[in-house]
Amino acid sequence: MKLNSLLLMSRLVKKSPSVCTDLPLSSSDVCNKLHLMKEFLRSSYGPTARLKQVHNNIGGSVVTSSTSSVLLQAIASSQPIISLIRSSILNHVSRFSDCGLFAAVFCLCLLEQAGQCGLRKNVMIKVNKHLLSLCTGYLQQEDCGCKVKLDFCSSQNLITLARSVISSKPTCVLTEPESDHISRLAVQAFLLTVPCNIPDTVRLGRTATITIEGHSVLKSAVFPGLLLSTPENLCFDSLCSPLHVVLFSISLAGDLSEIGDGRIEMHQGVDVDSQILDQLLELGKQVLKDGVKLFLCQKVIHPVLQHYLRCNGVIVIERLGVSLMEPLIQLTGAQPVATLHATIPSTVYGKVHNVCIRQFGSKTMLHLHPAGETAICSMILCHRNETMLNELKLVCQTTEHVLRLTLREPFALLGGGCTETHLAAYVRHKSKNEVSESTSVLGCSQTEYLLAAEAFCHSLELVATSLEHDGGTSLIDLTHAHHWTLPSDVTEEHLEGVMAPCGCGVVESCQNKTRSYLDTKYAGFSPAPLLTASPLQATVLDSFTPKVNALGVAVETANLVLDVRYVIQDVN
Amino acid sequence: MLESVIINSRQHVGLQKVSALAGRFRSSIGPIKNYKFIQDEVSGESVLVCSCFRIIENLEPTCAVGQLVYETVQAHHKGYRSGSGCLLFLAGAWSRTALDCLQRGIAVTHIIKAMSEGIDICLDVCKKSSVLFKDIAVMHKRSATPQDLELQLSEEAIADTSQVAAKVHDKCLNMSGQRRVKLSRHFCEAKSEMLSSALLPDLLELPDVAVLAESLSHGCEDAMKLAVEAVQMLSKMNQQDISDPSFDISKVQTCVLPGLPEDCTCVVEGCVFRLSDEQARVAHRIKQQPLKVALVTGDLSQTYRHLGFKSLSGVGVCEHLDLSASSKEDEWLEKVVNRLLNLKVNLILTAGLASQKVIQQCCRHHILVVEKVNSSVLRIIASSTGAVPVSYATQLAEHCVGNGINVEIWRDLSSYERESSTAVNISNGRNGGLVTAVITSCIHGKLQALEDQFWACAYRLHHALKDRALLPGAGGTEVLCVHQLQKQAEYHRVEDSKTGSAANLYRGLVLQLMADGLIDYISAVMVSTGRFSAAEARTIVSNQLQDFHKDEIIAGKFWQLILESRREDAVFSAGKPDEALTVKIYDNLSVKQEAWRKALDLVFLVLQTDAEIITGTGQRTEENLMRL
Repeated sequence: MKLNSLLLMSRLVKKSPSVCTDLPLSSSDVCNKLHLMKEFLRSSYGPTARLKQVHNNIGGSVVTSSTSSVLLQAIASSQPIISLIRSSILNHVSRFSDCGLFAAVFCLCLLEQAGQCGLRKNVMIKVNKHLLSLCTGYLQQEDCGCKVKLDFCSSQNLITLARSVISSKPTCVLTEPESDHISRLAVQAFLLTVPCNIPDTVRLGRTATITIEGHSVLKSAVFPGLLLSTPENLCFDSLCSPLHVVLFSISLAGDLSEIGDGRIEMHQGVDVDSQILDQLLELGKQVLKDGVKLFLCQKVIHPVLQHYLRCNGVIVIERLGVSLMEPLIQLTGAQPVATLHATIPSTVYGKVHNVCIRQFGSKTMLHLHPAGETAICSMILCHRNETMLNELKLVCQTTEHVLRLTLREPFALLGGGCTETHLAAYVRHKSKNEVSESTSVLGCSQTEYLLAAEAFCHSLELVATSLEHDGGTSLIDLTHAHHWTLPSDVTEEHLEGVMAPCGCGVVESCQNKTRSYLDTKYAGFSPAPLLTASPLQATVLDSFTPKVNALGVAVETANLVLDVRYVIQDVN
Repeated sequence: MLESVIINSRQHVGLQKVSALAGRFRSSIGPIKNYKFIQDEVSGESVLVCSCFRIIENLEPTCAVGQLVYETVQAHHKGYRSGSGCLLFLAGAWSRTALDCLQRGIAVTHIIKAMSEGIDICLDVCKKSSVLFKDIAVMHKRSATPQDLELQLSEEAIADTSQVAAKVHDKCLNMSGQRRVKLSRHFCEAKSEMLSSALLPDLLELPDVAVLAESLSHGCEDAMKLAVEAVQMLSKMNQQDISDPSFDISKVQTCVLPGLPEDCTCVVEGCVFRLSDEQARVAHRIKQQPLKVALVTGDLSQTYRHLGFKSLSGVGVCEHLDLSASSKEDEWLEKVVNRLLNLKVNLILTAGLASQKVIQQCCRHHILVVEKVNSSVLRIIASSTGAVPVSYATQLAEHCVGNGINVEIWRDLSSYERESSTAVNISNGRNGGLVTAVITSCIHGKLQALEDQFWACAYRLHHALKDRALLPGAGGTEVLCVHQLQKQAEYHRVEDSKTGSAANLYRGLVLQLMADGLIDYISAVMVSTGRFSAAEARTIVSNQLQDFHKDEIIAGKFWQLILESRREDAVFSAGKPDEALTVKIYDNLSVKQEAWRKALDLVFLVLQTDAEIITGTGQRTEENLMRL
């Protein structure tokens, strides 16, 4: 019957069969694409990275960035393996904000090294997993040599951590005093969001970021309370404190956009617009009766309602945007109103102590001072042009997140590639020493185990090497296993005079140490911890929690990709 | 889809693109500007452009780097209205500097560090060589006797402008110090200023706007004259404090009237608008009497909805009786007209458009509708008449209506154009504080350029009065920057050879190359005046620099240099040669600093970029593309 009907059809649309690729990692096309992706992300890594322009080739605006979230959002591939890596890294970034490029580069290096050493995939996977647990175990140890305990009594390390994050994005084009200024502001803003008196559950406040283009970075500032953009001609008489606030999350534009799509039947002669407007004015009346002085709305407010409220001495601000809602709720204690069809219960009103006007360049801001103790602050970011400002805003948000994560785990890792080289040396040493125990557990030969461990360590070192983009060479010292960079224009003789401190700035060059090039084989050794009386004062610090997680994400993603036997693609 | 271009660092494609794009503006920088036609090969349309900004606007660059350049220029133009050419040229010149450095194998980080040092030197020179207003006033006073102007200037007044200024300061301080004993502290400060200016009348006065304007006109004398008139008219109308002159740009609007000869260009108190014949008849009826005015920020039509209003798409009416849309509109129109009549409004100004029906209906009731009024103008009229701007005409109420505004027939344009039209002037007799620059030309294509020139001049005056200082013009500041850069470059070279340290290895070289970029700029400006060949221009500049280096002594020296350079390229003022000699040329401080800074920021961004990601599915066949 079925056959019959098919034969009777005048046209047959042929469905192409799905394409199945066996062992995708051995296909040269996939390898080339992975290599391209690695080179692409590697060149965007670190404070001297090369930037990428993202645009749509039909005259849209150009985004210049070296931030993983921007770059990975922009690239899309028909190759499922690339998409898998991409989404896995993006997921990490959405949770931790930082170390996206680290995870991506490490994962891609692992894959490339795995391809080169030619071991069985299941051995690679097992060894990778084992070494990952070795790394995370070491990083969690009390005496870990590449970890710094953050002391909240002094802001020094916090500022260093913030500065390392901020100066890792060269699109911001910051001078040294500028990045110092922004780092200090970031820490200040972070401290303002930590509540002073601690109730049962600690709830961190929020930082609202406002960007102003065309001013010097040094004009950036942090204010306690909230700053809201206002229409220029805002004027109000002296208001008595505290001011009652109402906050709407629904659109008050007077349309029916909130009811969703679908067909609506209505009787002839009904003027919907004027009926909704009547409803809005009714709302306005009630709010006035309740003594509200500040009328805020996330979305648009109908001009007639605005006019009515302003005439009655209410300050009206519309189009706040969703990002300001949470800080506003925390600051004012108001509950956002999401309907206009019911009378507003008096419990949803919030209050502020008072308001004042602040002028920043062309922007007029209404400054809301909280009525009680809150942990809300506003950060004004200024930069000379839009591209740099956008990146600066992104990087400041990352910094805020990184600083918040230190409250849970008050540690930082040595930056500048030192953690990577240190870990590599540690793992290499450890795996050599415990080779017999490990192989019996993992069920592979000693040679296999050592080869796989070498691939893992080398991948880690490659990430450290990726920080250099100007042709310099990477070195490792054979005492503490820190990372050093030798600029391309310096010859071996000048080495001692020129050599700056190591990547993180903890180890001075004058200490007599043997160094080895990172791409050459050196004898395994156990990296010695730095024994100093005072706590370590690094100049570059990496975030701890994001990096530990990124390490895990990179290894697990690489293992997953190594485990892929077939790729089946529906090409219809 | 990822398509990325991995650029060979030795031949940075992005920088080459910036350099090539900037090269197109080489002949358009400087005070003498030639008109250019830009023709669209597809549509065959062409536009007449004059300024660099209009050229790049009409070129519509599509590649990523071109877009970035355009965005930068746009941002600059929005705030300054001049200096786009300087920005573009230097972006190109410094791109070549960066390219040059890359070719010599200097690392990107070193280039950025050294070039940042370079721009700091230049901005520092700007700060140090800027001439304060009071010094300009002094110079102007002294140079009123035109004999031996240059000599006198360079030897006395100018060589020690800073000293003069310092002396003045001292005197003021002493004065207030003495006075403080006698007067209450509340009066002290204001008083002392008055006293000192009374005692030192010729030293403390601010320069006349006309004097400033003359030295800032840069070849646009006519437009500058217009701008000066606007400043003077505004300050008279608003009874401005003379000791604190400023030029509020938001109180100026332009009205472009095609058809009239160019000598009809003028500045008028109030707001001039062009009206159609029908509206003009109403204007004739209501002219010269105090009127009631309503201000509408939206469109005057039934279908208009405010921004952010989403119309319903799936609305169906249950009973399909024929209620046509037109009757709905009529209903609305009747309501609006009735309201206007009730409120006795004779004049509506709207920032948006008005439907033809509204205009006709209003004309019938002798209500004048003026469309497309600038929103800042609306605001000022609102504050001076007491009117409250509303979004919808139906919103109008008694308290929204303003009083005391007049309509006058400014000029009947019917003899100049095919369709007859009339220009009216809307003003309120009191200090409304608005002026209109009426810009006219028989040639339609020139109007845009003339309007741009007016705004360029107006913004130059605005920024000059805001900065309270000017920079020596005619290439003077640039020459000084070149000198400083070369001096610093030399210093680095000597230092490096002494210590043998490699850390600053390239700084000298990069600074030298940056200076070359500025020299290129100076000579390009000289060449574009048409009086020098490229070789001549370069020789003149390098001769001056050599002289400069030889006796590198006093700060006063560079003044002489500028004066000399001015004599040689009197050109810069583009006026009559003998007249040019007596006029000093100045540049705007903030405009120049900002243009330089923006140019270098652009170079930095492009220099650090090594790949572009092309999103979307746009097909492009090009080499160097890689797909992910």
